[in-house]
Parts: sequence; structure tokens; C-alpha cells
Amino acid sequence: MEYLIGIEKAFTGIGTTLEITVFAVILGVLLGLLIALMKLSKLRILKIIGSVYVEVLRGTPLLVQALIWYAGLPSLIGSMGGSFTWRGIEVVCGILACGINSSAYVAEIIRAGLQAVDTGQIEAARSLGLTHHKTMRFIVIPQATRIILPALGNEFITLIKETAVLSIIAIEEITRKGILWASQSYTFWYAYIGVAIVYLCMTIPLSRVVAYAERRMAVSDRS
Amino acid sequence: MIEVKNLHKSFGDLHVLRGITETIEDGEVVCIIGPSGSGKSTFLRCLNLLEEPTEGEVIIDGQQINTKGVDLNKVRQKLGMVFQNFNLFPHMTTLENVTLAPIQTGLMNAAEAKENALRLLSRVGLQDKAAVYPSSLSGGQKQRAAIARALAMNPEVMLFDEPTSALDPEMVGEVLDVMKGLAQGGMTMAIVTHEMNFAREVADRILFIDEGIVLEKGTPEEIFDHTKTERAKTFFSKVL
Repeated sequence: MEYLIGIEKAFTGIGTTLEITVFAVILGVLLGLLIALMKLSKLRILKIIGSVYVEVLRGTPLLVQALIWYAGLPSLIGSMGGSFTWRGIEVVCGILACGINSSAYVAEIIRAGLQAVDTGQIEAARSLGLTHHKTMRFIVIPQATRIILPALGNEFITLIKETAVLSIIAIEEITRKGILWASQSYTFWYAYIGVAIVYLCMTIPLSRVVAYAERRMAVSDRS
Repeated sequence: MIEVKNLHKSFGDLHVLRGITETIEDGEVVCIIGPSGSGKSTFLRCLNLLEEPTEGEVIIDGQQINTKGVDLNKVRQKLGMVFQNFNLFPHMTTLENVTLAPIQTGLMNAAEAKENALRLLSRVGLQDKAAVYPSSLSGGQKQRAAIARALAMNPEVMLFDEPTSALDPEMVGEVLDVMKGLAQGGMTMAIVTHEMNFAREVADRILFIDEGIVLEKGTPEEIFDHTKTERAKTFFSKVL
């Protein structure tokens, strides 16, 4: 019975977790695409900016990044004479922290996907007289997409779990709901098992979907 | 007509082509032979600028193409290319592989391109494979589809880069037969190959390339039966 209550309490945070994850993924993909293109650019300066961005975000814990956004940034603005607080819009802070963190991983996924397309494919298209633009549109992007999409699915699953760190910045997502109930009722075991089960209910079906998509895309890709 | 003058190509410190001057006339079939790493493929790839020459001129129909301001995409439409590894587009059917370029370059509308593609596919013996994906074709069928794809742009010249080297021995013949058909039809062809018997049979002229220069050139009889250089003699003693 306590298990059910644990699950039920954790479940009340699922909306917030999903809201943050979905928007963070959208932000992550948009920024990630931009960064991937910068890293693949011929311009040295863009390459460097892209590389530094990815290194910094992948080289520091998401928890630390979340603290910098949530507490560090308002404090910095305050010290410069301004005034800013995330109070009331903590969720936005969570989306920013997770989305920007995720964009570094997404950038690498997209870059690797584009680079995984055999150069022979590009040469064949160019030898037929197709422009660079049309080669990208008809040959490179469709083939890269088959590699990128399943990896993005996995990134989405990862992000669902990663949003748990947002419990530390007062966002009432799944983990936070569990913590709150545990500290009221002292039923730590049931509370956190409940939290774990709620995450599993999302991640297991989703990883099945991704695995299925991966197989489907591999089938038509063997040349 | 293709002319190259004093063609050099380096990859970093590696000087692959060391000054080649050559002309390929309209309707001529030229086979390019020589040891591995001699620069044969690099030479061929310089003709449509898949590799950019470090020095020298590539002239197609009187127009130098390795210079600024040339619409390379237009030039490449005249030069069909067939690769060792086929490089068919795996996400498109055989028919789509053949129709993509004519449609996207504006050469033909969709209906014309399809009609043309079906005609070419039946010419290479693949009329019943139009709707399938490359993954279900054999190596020989893939290469024949790749030839049809290159022909779909109505090129003036066909470049073949070791077209049978990646094939199982039993599939080499079917690809060579298609190429013979093209040669008999008057297509201008430059073929990098290790198939000496094929070269002897179809070539008007043979270039023997070694260490980045044309060491010997002439008719198949001159090259194979009256070999001049020791280098070429040694090579033939190993491959013939």
C-alpha cells in the first residue's frame, strides 16, 4: 500500500518533468543543430566557438550548470546593480539549464551523423552535377537522419532522467515530489522506490520505441 | 575532348601526379593501367575535379575548368563517373537513383527522366529492378545501375574508376559487357582498370602510368606486345 502512495506522490510531478524535458529537447535540438553546423564550418573561428561550447557543457556536471543558472546568474545581475529572480518561473530556468546542457550532446550527435555519411555518396552526387546544396538536401541529410533520429530518441530518454537534478532548485518535478513526501512522512523507502518506478514507466516504453526505430531505419540502409 | 597539360597533384608531401600531358579525343576509349598507388585514379578524379590539381590545366571542350569562375556543376554534367564502390544512394530505389540528377539539374522533367531511366535500365539489363533498393542488388547489378545513373545525364564522356575491382569474379563479365556496348556505341571513355584482357579488347589507346607520370602510351598492341620499359614489362609479367 505504501508503495502505491509513493508512486502516486511521485506521479504528481510527471507533468512538470515532461514539460521541462520536451521543451529542453526542442531547445537542445535547435541549439545543437546550430553548434553542429558551426563545428563543421570551414571558418576557424566558428569551429573554435563550437568546440569550446561543447567542451564546457560536457565537461561540467549538469547540477553545477543548474546552480549557476538558478542562483549564480541572479546573484551576478544583483552585483551589477540589476535585479533578477527565477521565483515563479523556476521551470523556465530548468528548461534553459537542461536544454543548453543537452544541446552540447545533440550537437555531437548531429555532427557525427552528418560525418557518418560516406564521402563516396557526396562524390557520386557531385559527379552527377548536383550542387552542394542539393547534395545536402537529397543525399546527406536523408541518410544522416537515419543515424541521428534514434540517437536523439536516446537523448530524450536521458534527459527525462537528468531533469531529476532540478529537484535541487525548487522545481517540483518527480524527484522533488518524492523528496517532499519522504521528509513529511519519513517513509523514505516507499517514496524513492515510487519515484524510481515512475521514471521506469516512462523510460522502458520509450527505449523500446527507440530500439524499434533503430531497427527499422537500419533495414533499408544496407547497401 | 579532354586535354590535360602538365597536371600535378600533391596530397601534403605526397607528390602523386608529377606532370601529365594528355589528350582524349571524342569517341576515343582510353584505358589507364599501372601498379597500385601509381596515380591512375587520382588522374581520373582530376578530370572532373573531384580532386583539385595542384598545378596544370584541365581543359574540357576548349574550356579550362580548374580555374575560378567556372560552373563546375555544369561541367560535371558532361562527365559521367562510375566508382569502384558503386556509391548508389541506399535510401532511393534504383529508378530514383537514375532519375534524381536529371530532374534536380533541370535537364528533364519527371516524366522524361523516368522514361529515360527505364530505357537505360533495360539497356543495362535491369528493367525488372527499377523499384527495388540497392541493398537487394548484387554487386554486378549495382555497378550496372550506377552506369545507368551516370548515363542518365547524357554525358559526353564516361569516366570509370576501377569499375570491376570490388566485384566477385563471376560478376565482372556482366559489367564489362555493358561497358563494351558503350564503347561500340561511340562513347568517349576513360577507364582505370586492372582487366588487361578487357583493355586490350576495347581500348583505342592505353596509358601506362607509374609514379605519377605516363610511362608508356600507345595502342594495345604497342603496349602489350612491344613493351618498351622494364617497369612495364615487370608489371605485365606479374598481372598477365
